[in-house]
Amino acid sequence: MIYIFTALYSEAQIFIRHFNLIKNQESTWFQQFYNETAGVRLAVTGVGEIAAAAVVGSVCSVYKPTQNDLLLNIGICAHTTKNDGIFLCNKIMEKATERTFYPDMLYRHNFSEGTIITGMQPYASDKDAAQTTANISVEMLYDMEAAAVWQAGIHFFGPHQMIFLKIVSDRGCVEEVSKERTALLLEKYKDGIFDYIRQISSITQKMECRKSCLCQENERLIESFCVDLHCSKTMKDFMKQYIQYLTLAEMDYVSVIQDMYDKKLLPCKDKREGKLRFEEFKRRLF
Amino acid sequence: MKNLKEDYFNPFFSHIYIEKAVREHARTQKILAKFPSAEIIEIDHYKDIFCRSRQSFRFQHRTQKLILAARQGTLLYEGAPVCQSFGSQYFYYASCAMNCIYDCAYCYLKGMYPSAHIVVFVNLEDIFAEVERVLEHHPLYLCVSYDTDLLAMEQIIGYVQEWSDFAAKHDNLKIEIRTKCANKTYVRNVNPVSTVIYAFTLSPQAVIDAYEHYTPSLAERLSCAAELIQAGCPVRLCFDPMIYMPDWKQHYETMLDQVFHIIPMEKIVDVSVGTFRISQDYLKNMRKQDSESAVIWFPFHKEGGYCHYPAELLEQMECFLSERLEEKISKEKIFRWNV
Repeated sequence: MIYIFTALYSEAQIFIRHFNLIKNQESTWFQQFYNETAGVRLAVTGVGEIAAAAVVGSVCSVYKPTQNDLLLNIGICAHTTKNDGIFLCNKIMEKATERTFYPDMLYRHNFSEGTIITGMQPYASDKDAAQTTANISVEMLYDMEAAAVWQAGIHFFGPHQMIFLKIVSDRGCVEEVSKERTALLLEKYKDGIFDYIRQISSITQKMECRKSCLCQENERLIESFCVDLHCSKTMKDFMKQYIQYLTLAEMDYVSVIQDMYDKKLLPCKDKREGKLRFEEFKRRLF
Repeated sequence: MKNLKEDYFNPFFSHIYIEKAVREHARTQKILAKFPSAEIIEIDHYKDIFCRSRQSFRFQHRTQKLILAARQGTLLYEGAPVCQSFGSQYFYYASCAMNCIYDCAYCYLKGMYPSAHIVVFVNLEDIFAEVERVLEHHPLYLCVSYDTDLLAMEQIIGYVQEWSDFAAKHDNLKIEIRTKCANKTYVRNVNPVSTVIYAFTLSPQAVIDAYEHYTPSLAERLSCAAELIQAGCPVRLCFDPMIYMPDWKQHYETMLDQVFHIIPMEKIVDVSVGTFRISQDYLKNMRKQDSESAVIWFPFHKEGGYCHYPAELLEQMECFLSERLEEKISKEKIFRWNV
């Protein structure tokens, strides 16, 4: 599942259309869209750090992302020297606290990379430029959510699962930014964005598939074997570990179990006999 | 993961994180010159990257990043109880880099560190100074390639050469370079120093194929060790950790045949033998990260905070190897960790 967070509805539109997202009518506090088949859940957080953190926390608390899920924070931002471009953020600085966060840069991409500063107010070139350049390098992005999305998201996602994509809308003139212009900017870069999403999704999906196959196969076998051995909880946990190892090591334990059934050694009549059979099972394998 | 196209991931060291304090350090500049197209990201402290929570070793190992930093605080550590001291009274290790370019499924680094990215401490001169301070009081047996494989990174950082040069100037310092590498370029230009021991970790090819990802083959390691011996360098062979797998005896037998065929055993400094053992806490962390690697899911026995193979199996494996080795070298040269 990919969890997409945008500050504005106009930033969300391309995803709603592309993934055929439907509105979650139960979410009345903020707009939320989803498509389970496509594996996408999108929330419009509203502008600013507090709004963003609140929505990320809320969505993730309800849906409980797993290790195979991804968080994508996408939206417009200002740039200190450029009027255009799409950037993948490799460093996020929070202006208020001067804390810095680093998403893992694991996947190939065709975007430029940059540092983003998250502030409580929109970047204004006339007053913020001098302050920014005095502290850090000149080439800088500026938004109002990224650092908050990171800080809320890190409770649920690892640094390799969080992606921050920002599209430059202005150089510090917030008046230049309209809903229509925002939507057009997202539209302009949509091909690159969707390619990237497709690429990173395929990595996590492959991981998920392999793990779940392994687990289901194990669980079924452990259950029946343990019942017939009259296993206690501790013994069952121990057995789980053995089966996990034997499966991974591709050792043929199934025929050993089958052979024990064929020789009428299983099912056992009580716990004591079960313990003896378990020891025999181990002896035959190691 | 193995079926995924490599190009989904960024190349190794596509990003280099550098502590601001060492941005202008000569070693930093030297390393950076080798990665002209890397994305450089300045950081305050290496832990800002290395110690983030919820990092994934598996993902990061596909595209490790380099972190250049300054080592602060403790520069030398006393050897851990699970490590071989080879009879040395003053057994220490230095950590001038953390993590390894190889991806061995059983490596304790995966349980010890929160990240798979590689940290290189560029202030080697501070570690040298600390070693000299200790040498004023007593001799030192120092392992410099424990939390990493320095020889595998030699072309990037050149630390083995620096340590070798340093050891050559200090009579009472003996250093060990532990490696799985087969760096022929280094070997062909090596300047033998009698107190610099090259310790090759050897495993059967089946273990290498299954668990020691990205490492050179057994044949390559042996060829490299043989060349070092021929050049006059002290070489140690480490059959440690021995890894259990079905038909382990056959795999280790084949490996020994290969070793005896290529290595002039009479010229070996010594050998170490030890089955896989690991701190319980490290193993717990490793299992959290990797549910697919058989080697770490073995139903180990727990004892005093450490996990190891069941006593009977452990004894069987170590005795088998020791006995076979005794046919070629004297017993005194064989070190078993738990004896």
